[in-house]
Amino acid sequence: MLIPHPLLGLRDAQEFTYLGDANLLNRPDPTAPDAEAAFCDYVFLRDNPAGKHRELWFHEQGDRSWLVVTRDTLTHEISDVELATDVARRGK
Amino acid sequence: MTDLTPITALGASAPRSQDFGAYTLRENSALALVSLAIARCATPPTPFGLTLPSAGCCTTHADYTAFWTSPDQWMITAENLGETDFAATVQNEVPDARLTEQTDGWVAFDITAETDGQIGAVLSRVANLPLIDLTPGKAVRTGFDHMSIFLVRRSERHVTVIVMRTLAVTLWHALETILQRLGDTK
Repeated sequence: MLIPHPLLGLRDAQEFTYLGDANLLNRPDPTAPDAEAAFCDYVFLRDNPAGKHRELWFHEQGDRSWLVVTRDTLTHEISDVELATDVARRGK
Repeated sequence: MTDLTPITALGASAPRSQDFGAYTLRENSALALVSLAIARCATPPTPFGLTLPSAGCCTTHADYTAFWTSPDQWMITAENLGETDFAATVQNEVPDARLTEQTDGWVAFDITAETDGQIGAVLSRVANLPLIDLTPGKAVRTGFDHMSIFLVRRSERHVTVIVMRTLAVTLWHALETILQRLGDTK
């Protein structure tokens, strides 16, 4: 599988490490009253969609950037790739 | 403590060099490296007259080379300054940049060829990348034999392979294996 890196172009998936659901970027507020329940969901609960999935990939053998890759889990088709820093700064 | 003997990354008192037909593989123990980072979206400085390159590229000016390593971050290398405090030299040049001395963390191997086109044959065996990403003026970090390496394409007949210093012997062996095969089929 080839991942279209936003800065470096198509790179082999072997250069990357997979970390799973991109919702990990949305860390709950530890000071909120329901923080314990929110962190329980954050740590243990994952969606497992058959279709489009936003996920984190780390370019370990490349520029060491984190990417948010939108991938179809049925076909492996990649429809969108962004730097995770850009996604995090945008707050989504 | 006065009788210490300096050795190269391959453990010898002098850098190793070996010919393989049209190719030469040479340990460059005199290469100085320092990483340079700037604040996000700050204007890149021009140390030693170098224009800091965009993603996937390298630039050279005199004995200095800069190659892109990640957003707002580059590696600066200098020939024959490996035994000096190169980080301090660069810091004088660009006082506002964030620098980290890298010379002792890496080893550089230069591969040179006799004619144009021969380096492409080596790179196609080293990197799982299209050769268009490895033309002269390009620099990438990629995986090779489970090692993370930098490839800096300095010219048509010259590429530098940089790997973390502890993997020096392993990388030399891997490159030697490729060059022996290519050298034999010259």
